[in-house]
Amino acid sequence: MVRFKNIPTQKKSPYHSLKNKWVKRHSLIKEQLLTTHRDSLDWLVSNLPAKHHLAAGSLSGLLLLAPQISSPLPVVSTPAKEQVLEVPKKVFLITELSSILPQEVGPLDPGVEKKIAGVLSDELGFGVSAEMQNKRLNTSYGYIGAEQHLTRYPGDTMSTHFQTNNEQLRFEKSGMAPGRGAWGYFAYSQAEMTQRDIDREKYYIAVQTFMSDGYSQRVREYVEFFKFRKMLVVNPQNGKAMIVVIGDAGPAVWTGKHLGGSPEVMGYLERFDGRQRGPVLYFFIDDPEDKIPLGPIEL
Amino acid sequence: MNKHFYSHIAHTESVVVKLHDLQMSEHERLHLISLMDSSLHHVILDAILSELTAADKQIFLKELATDDHEAIWKFLRSKITGIEDKIQYAAEELKKELHEDIEGTK
Repeated sequence: MVRFKNIPTQKKSPYHSLKNKWVKRHSLIKEQLLTTHRDSLDWLVSNLPAKHHLAAGSLSGLLLLAPQISSPLPVVSTPAKEQVLEVPKKVFLITELSSILPQEVGPLDPGVEKKIAGVLSDELGFGVSAEMQNKRLNTSYGYIGAEQHLTRYPGDTMSTHFQTNNEQLRFEKSGMAPGRGAWGYFAYSQAEMTQRDIDREKYYIAVQTFMSDGYSQRVREYVEFFKFRKMLVVNPQNGKAMIVVIGDAGPAVWTGKHLGGSPEVMGYLERFDGRQRGPVLYFFIDDPEDKIPLGPIEL
Repeated sequence: MNKHFYSHIAHTESVVVKLHDLQMSEHERLHLISLMDSSLHHVILDAILSELTAADKQIFLKELATDDHEAIWKFLRSKITGIEDKIQYAAEELKKELHEDIEGTK
């Protein structure tokens, strides 16, 4: 048992006082579990197949993750000891999320939603929230489907779309969506396109903006709010996360999906379309100065 | 909300009630409760794994993955004498510390 008595405390609010102690204790307890039972946890991570469709809860999310989490480990010039530690840290987050999330994918209970936002905020060190400026999406936990690439500027095609051969090899097959995204082109021309425009298209999601409460009464205001709004997307079953923007509106409700992801987003999160579809968490992030870069983020 | 296999013997209501006596927002309270729940989960896993052999740890973790509470208990009872008491003790020890922290804020 990890004892954590006699921690000196300044006279802060009860919440901050307790939070400081409990976060430290929580870390120590996890560290103790990891240290004492590392062999078993390593075995767990490397031996259980991902194809198990297990009920969400307890360690099932962790087990689902097992074969997938070895890939994000740093391979080059990282001491073996650190690699071993890296796995369980993410595993613990996944267990935590799976113990909070309901089995049914869809709108979350407000209490659950706040808990998850709290867990993610703690992990990332910046604010994560399902609601911002009194606006929220129809759900923050939904099935994600595959979207196509978006035309970034007039004349953008598959032959001009990729910066590297590797990107082209991996993502060309997804094709280009007919027409433009909900917000139009990302840039007026190829010459005027910035890295920010490139990243916005690469790391975009499509969300059902039109299903938000109040949308139909204040369309202009809502469009302004949602346009390229930064969000965090998390695959709760493998802990992979990305900072993305809302780059399009959709998918249609009848598809049974709640949101869509660009080919790059789907590839990184290891989410698939069709019968293999899976849920993600998606929350607004507090980034008023636009400092948090788009793309993968470590949890 | 998912129920853990140990939920019927590791109650946390007394801590939640105490948190409700403190001045804080609902969001803050939920954050603390989530920290408590997660800590409890890991403390109990630690208590169980500490009683098992390496081979039995693997069996237990597999059983845990099925979320079949009956099977988990059947296995644990066959391997660890007084397992319920041990889980309760681990939970109570943690709760005692949490209560002391709460008292310390007053």
